[in-house]
Amino acid sequence: MVIDTRSGRLRMSLLGAVAVALFAALFARVWFLQVLNEQEFVQLADGNQVRQVVELAPRGRIIDVNGKTIVDNRPSIVISIDRETIVKNVSDEDLDDLFFRLAQEISATGQLTKVAELRTAFESERFGPFAEVPVARDVSEDLQLYLAERSHEFPGVNSSVVMVRTYPYGDLAAHILGYVGALNEEEWLATRDKPKQYQENDFIGKTGIELFYEDALRGTPGFRTIKVDRFSNVIEELEASEPVAGSDVHLTIDVDLQRLTEDELKRGLEFARTQEDKKQEGEGIVVYNAPAGAVVILDPRDGSVRAMASFPTYDPALFVNGISAEAFAALTDEEADLPLLNRAIQGEYAPGSTFKPFTTYAALDTGLLGSRGILGVFTEYSDEGWYRIPNCGDSTCVFTNAASKPLGQVDLRLALTLSSDVYFYNLAANFDRLAFDTDSIQQAAVLFGYGSPTGVTLPGELAGRMPTPATRLADNEANPEAFPNSRWGTGDTLNTAIGQGDVLATPLQIANAYSVIANGGTLYAPNLARTIVDPITQEAELSFGPRILRQLYWPTLIRDPIWDGLKGVTNYQDELGFDEGTTRNATARKSFEGFPLDDWPVAGKTGTSEKFSADGPIADYALFVGYGPLPNPEYVAVALLEEAGFGGDYAAPVIRNIFQRIAEGTVPEVLTQEDQDLRAALQAVLFEEAQQAAGAATETTDNGSGSDASVDGEAAG
Amino acid sequence: MALTTHRRSRSLNPGRDPLSPFLHIDLMLVLSTLALAAIGTVLIYSATRGSDPELYDTSFLERQIIFVMVGTAVMAGTALIPYERLQAWAPTFYAAGLVGLLAVLAVGVERNDARSWFQVGTFQIQPSEFAKVGFIVVLASFISRFDGDLNARQLGTALALAVAPLALIMRQPDVGTTLVFVAILMGMLLIGGARFGHIIALTALGIGMLALIWNSGTLEAYQEERLISFLESEITQTDAGYQQAQSQIAIGNGGVSGRGFGQGGQTQGDFVPEQHTDFIFTVVGEEFGFVGSTVVLGLFAMIIWRTWRTAKKAANTFGALICVGVMTMFVFQMFQSVGMTTGIMPITGIPAPFLSYGGSSALTSFLAIGLVLNVHMRRYQVRR
Repeated sequence: MVIDTRSGRLRMSLLGAVAVALFAALFARVWFLQVLNEQEFVQLADGNQVRQVVELAPRGRIIDVNGKTIVDNRPSIVISIDRETIVKNVSDEDLDDLFFRLAQEISATGQLTKVAELRTAFESERFGPFAEVPVARDVSEDLQLYLAERSHEFPGVNSSVVMVRTYPYGDLAAHILGYVGALNEEEWLATRDKPKQYQENDFIGKTGIELFYEDALRGTPGFRTIKVDRFSNVIEELEASEPVAGSDVHLTIDVDLQRLTEDELKRGLEFARTQEDKKQEGEGIVVYNAPAGAVVILDPRDGSVRAMASFPTYDPALFVNGISAEAFAALTDEEADLPLLNRAIQGEYAPGSTFKPFTTYAALDTGLLGSRGILGVFTEYSDEGWYRIPNCGDSTCVFTNAASKPLGQVDLRLALTLSSDVYFYNLAANFDRLAFDTDSIQQAAVLFGYGSPTGVTLPGELAGRMPTPATRLADNEANPEAFPNSRWGTGDTLNTAIGQGDVLATPLQIANAYSVIANGGTLYAPNLARTIVDPITQEAELSFGPRILRQLYWPTLIRDPIWDGLKGVTNYQDELGFDEGTTRNATARKSFEGFPLDDWPVAGKTGTSEKFSADGPIADYALFVGYGPLPNPEYVAVALLEEAGFGGDYAAPVIRNIFQRIAEGTVPEVLTQEDQDLRAALQAVLFEEAQQAAGAATETTDNGSGSDASVDGEAAG
Repeated sequence: MALTTHRRSRSLNPGRDPLSPFLHIDLMLVLSTLALAAIGTVLIYSATRGSDPELYDTSFLERQIIFVMVGTAVMAGTALIPYERLQAWAPTFYAAGLVGLLAVLAVGVERNDARSWFQVGTFQIQPSEFAKVGFIVVLASFISRFDGDLNARQLGTALALAVAPLALIMRQPDVGTTLVFVAILMGMLLIGGARFGHIIALTALGIGMLALIWNSGTLEAYQEERLISFLESEITQTDAGYQQAQSQIAIGNGGVSGRGFGQGGQTQGDFVPEQHTDFIFTVVGEEFGFVGSTVVLGLFAMIIWRTWRTAKKAANTFGALICVGVMTMFVFQMFQSVGMTTGIMPITGIPAPFLSYGGSSALTSFLAIGLVLNVHMRRYQVRR
């Protein structure tokens, strides 16, 4: 038999050896997979089967001081494409067709969407290879339903509902609230340090309160760790954490006052645009441009911001579904006066004459003014319209009032009331001449917060500028081309004294400095938020009390002349002009005519700062700061109108109108868009009913015309 | 015969015929086979019951239990008929096999792009499975006549016998089963006495044919992809690459001790397509780990060894060649099936004997073991 032969045995051994070799190979391979590389494969398997599903938590709301919601959330349907499904199920040829059909469907609902946009989103490297990429936001429910019903025609196209921002009061307080937008690369990297987790396609606060209180407003997303099968069906839930809604931020802002403030600012600018700029020499009548402005209203008692307006403004709703590049460019266009810029904290302006009280403080505090100084507080000084720096023969040594107008005999109080530049030139020159620090004025101003950010709870605040001989030199050394002048002259001190020259301040800084005057010497860091509140329990998680930065030396000896001088600004008038018998009016007197000053006394200061562009002087910037009601002021308000002329004529009326509403208790109640619509609808119904009633009445009259029976008929009816 | 005397003297029951086949049942082979089949049913249950504990799908389990029970009966039945008689039936088997393979091309149902099944009620019958055993018997019957030395003409005849079934199976197309036939043919030719020169020439010819087929474009793209995907180290997103990657992840995920019955994430998540049939080894790997894999491979080794041993002890060349055929069939199917799940062999649809779900495969495997048992039982009885 074959097996028993030598060849047969050899062949059987050979067959056996092959079998042994093959088994050895399998065994070795299994050893390699299961013993040597177990860890790696376990990880791969987990990566396969275990998925984390994120459940987004709604963002906290932003609420005004009276509990009205200014920023809320609403559901929005997002159409996204699932790259994993598409890569697996759709061939390259079918992909174009899919995108074409999808773009068509989305566009048909009114959101113009191009195939190229879908392709860009599909290929975007910002999202992981298996991530869902959003392609259309805020689509209609109809489209969601349509796509869901035809899911086999649109493989990998999903829809989900996310919560997005909604603004019941429209563009109200846009600059304070800020807006949210999709994370950019830089923000995405920075989120690693944040307490709450983010996803690549998350939204984040970009500016304003939305940015400043991002950590509180952001909800804590919920996570479900699930085990899935090959078809992504959930097999088992391994771990789950519920999403927690973000905390509400309660502001110090009052929507009614905010609306009024914004409206008055806009009205003031519109008014200026109808007025002739007499300083401009040109053919015909030149009106003011008055392109932009800001108003800030603070509560001097605790430093909280009551209202803050910046014009031009924008609609934060533009950002809800991601803003288009064109729309964003329009908002950041210099030609359009930078609507995104919050001028209240990001506009740096020469404070002009509004700065004089701080020069006054320096003079009183150092003793330059006073019983042993160059002038007593009540010593009269003759303002002839111009001032020459002593021992200086040059024509550049002569400084004048606005339009070189002589004001006559003024003491400190009247110098403030009538805004005599000459009086303050005299003080400034003597700081330099006598044994005082050259930068005495700056030292005083810094105490009031000039030259550094106020610390308001908003991002992006600018510091203004408080120039001194030291900063002048430092600037020159750092950049000789931009700052060719290294020397500080007496003339610079003179300009500083009246808030011109290199002095710059934000409207908020000015308001905050006046708060110190109004409240008796306390410098606060302004607050915009009062509390952070748990949206469910309504308990405050955090409360923000007043933040005192500094307590100033504030004796009545200093307070009284400043208060008296500022109090006169709204009403003072006499007949003691430079030319015998001429009338001298306080700078804001005209604007406060008819204001109930007896019930609600207002002190203030006008400012008119000169402005130079590259082509020479342009229209003055109008400023007014007011506080009231005296003697315990609850409001400090600053208005600044760019290129709008004299502060007393164009900025003061803005504050006057706001204060009048407050004084009379007639600040109009603002309605949400929804309430407005409801009211309109209600009115329409009432109108219709009234018309019907009228129609019925007419009918009755027609029927009964000329007949006494109608009376009986009506009575019977 | 010396051996016979020796046996007799050691017999515990001298009153009965010590050469009776029933005294020489290879229990080791029977037990290994039943153990493997039992493990197979457990694996199939785990792979097919689904994820809802309230509503486990037991239909696959129930059917497989039936297959195993019927298979055991078939195995016993096959063992009872003296295998020599099969020699006379060989031409009938051959004819029946060809008819079956032709019929399936005509009236079979198509599944996974191959026309390999008859639909009979709710069952599907795969004639190529049964044809393997028929082919073994036919080839053994033919080759055994030449008693260990095949000249070129005889070899040619043997090859000619193989060509018809191979061609028909390729037509389905079923590359896997075709390869099993080739393995059986080569194993039996080796033991049957083909000259080494011929074997080398045949091997060279085979490789040349493969190269020719590969370059001729007769293979569909998916077939090519399946055949080469195991060579790629990266996990690819193609279907074949996906299947092989998921399969290896499953096996690696089992680690040393396994995830436990019903606990394999890859298995329960149905990540490996065909995990209850061709890819059944992934279930062993993931849920019972290296320990389980070793047990399964060990049981297979036992079956192979017993079959090889039976071949050596067979009373005649016909019996020996049957065992060799069965052995090469199992070795190849085992290596291919486990090899493709572990990523060292290309993907070809070959069931793992006794483990994979499927009646045709189970019955064929039991049938084959029945033949080996038959040869083993009658190693003292059959005339040489």
